[in-house]
Amino acid sequence: METKVAEQAVEEQQGKKKMRVMVAIDESEWSFYALKWALDHLFVGPNDKAGVAATREAPAVSQENVSMATLVHVMPPFYNYVLPAGPGGAAYYVTPALLESVRKAQEDGAADVLSRALEICKDKMIKAETLILRGDPKDMICEATEQSHVDLLVVGSRGLGMVKRAFLGSVSDYCAHHAKCPVVIVKPPKESGKPPKESGKPPKESGKK
Amino acid sequence: MAEGSENKGKPLMLVAVDDSEHSFYALEWTLDHFFAHGTNHPFKLIVIHARSSASSALGVAGFGSVDFMTSLEADMKKSTGKTVQKAKDVCTSKKVENVEVEVMEGDPRNVMCDAVDKHQASLLVVGSHGYGIVKRAVLGSVSDYCAHHVKCSVMIVKQPTKP
Repeated sequence: METKVAEQAVEEQQGKKKMRVMVAIDESEWSFYALKWALDHLFVGPNDKAGVAATREAPAVSQENVSMATLVHVMPPFYNYVLPAGPGGAAYYVTPALLESVRKAQEDGAADVLSRALEICKDKMIKAETLILRGDPKDMICEATEQSHVDLLVVGSRGLGMVKRAFLGSVSDYCAHHAKCPVVIVKPPKESGKPPKESGKPPKESGKK
Repeated sequence: MAEGSENKGKPLMLVAVDDSEHSFYALEWTLDHFFAHGTNHPFKLIVIHARSSASSALGVAGFGSVDFMTSLEADMKKSTGKTVQKAKDVCTSKKVENVEVEVMEGDPRNVMCDAVDKHQASLLVVGSHGYGIVKRAVLGSVSDYCAHHVKCSVMIVKQPTKP
C-alpha cells in the first residue's frame, strides 16, 4: 500500500515538474548567457535539492524529474543569387561551387554554436536536444515554439535602447509579443553590458514607452 | 520558523498582480510550473500588487471635495484588499505556503522596477494583455515597460488564445 502512494506522489511530481523549455541560441554571448541563466534557474537537475528529495522515495525514477531543453538555432535565409554592389544592374548567378561553400560555412557555424551550447548543458547535467532552422529568426522561433508545444521560450536580450531597437529590430521583442507561450527575456548582468540609454533618465519620469 | 532558513540563499521571483485576469493566470501558471510540490522550491516567491494612489486617479487636485477623496480612498483600499486576498487564496489552493504579498503605491511600471531593485529579484513575472501594436502604443503596456527597463530577467506569461 505504501509503495503505491509513494509511486503516485512521484508521478505527480513528474507531471508537474517536467517542463519543455526552448532556448534560442545564436553566435552572440547574450544568448549563451541566457542559456546558462536558464539552466541555472529554470531546471531541476539531478543534483538539485528537489532531486535528492525524490531519490529518497524512489531511487529509480530520480532521472525522470529532469526537464528537457530544446536548443534552437536559426540560420538566416540563403539566397541563390548575389546582387552586385557596383555599376551593372544585373544579378549574377554565382557558381554552384561558391554557393556550396557558403552554405557549408553557414552550417558549420551553426553546428559550432550548438555544440558549444550542448557542452554547457552537459556540464550542468541537463538533457538537451538541438534544432536547426533556416529563415527569419523571429518567425522561425515563434513557429518552432508552436510546433513543439513548448511550455516556455527563453531568449537573450542585447539591452538595446528604443531607437536602436526600432532600426535594428529585436528578436526578443518580437518573440515576447508574438510567441503563444510564456517568454523569459534574460538580460545581461549589469557589470558586463552597457546600460541602455533609457536608464539614464530618472525612473519617476512618467512617459509613454 | 523553519521555513525561513530554507528560503535563505534562494533566488527570488516576483510576480506582479493587479485586478486583471491575465495577471492571475500568470500567478497560477507560475505556481503550477515552479512551486509544484512539497516545501523545496527552487525559488522564493513574493507577490507584488501595485495600487495607484487616489489622487492620481482623480487627476486634477482641485476637482473633488475632501469627502469624495476619502470615500474614493476607502473604495480603493477595499479593492486592493480583495486582490491581495485573492492572491493569497490562489497560493493556498495550490498548496504553496508562506507567500508574501506586498502592496506598493504608485504607477505599476515604476513600482515593479523599484520592487526588483529593492528585493534584488532574479526574475519578474508579469501577465500580458495580448494587445496589438496600436492598442499597446495608445494604452501603454506595463509588461512591455518592465521587459525593457527592469534590471533582472522578465517572464511574460500569456493566456493561451482561445481557438
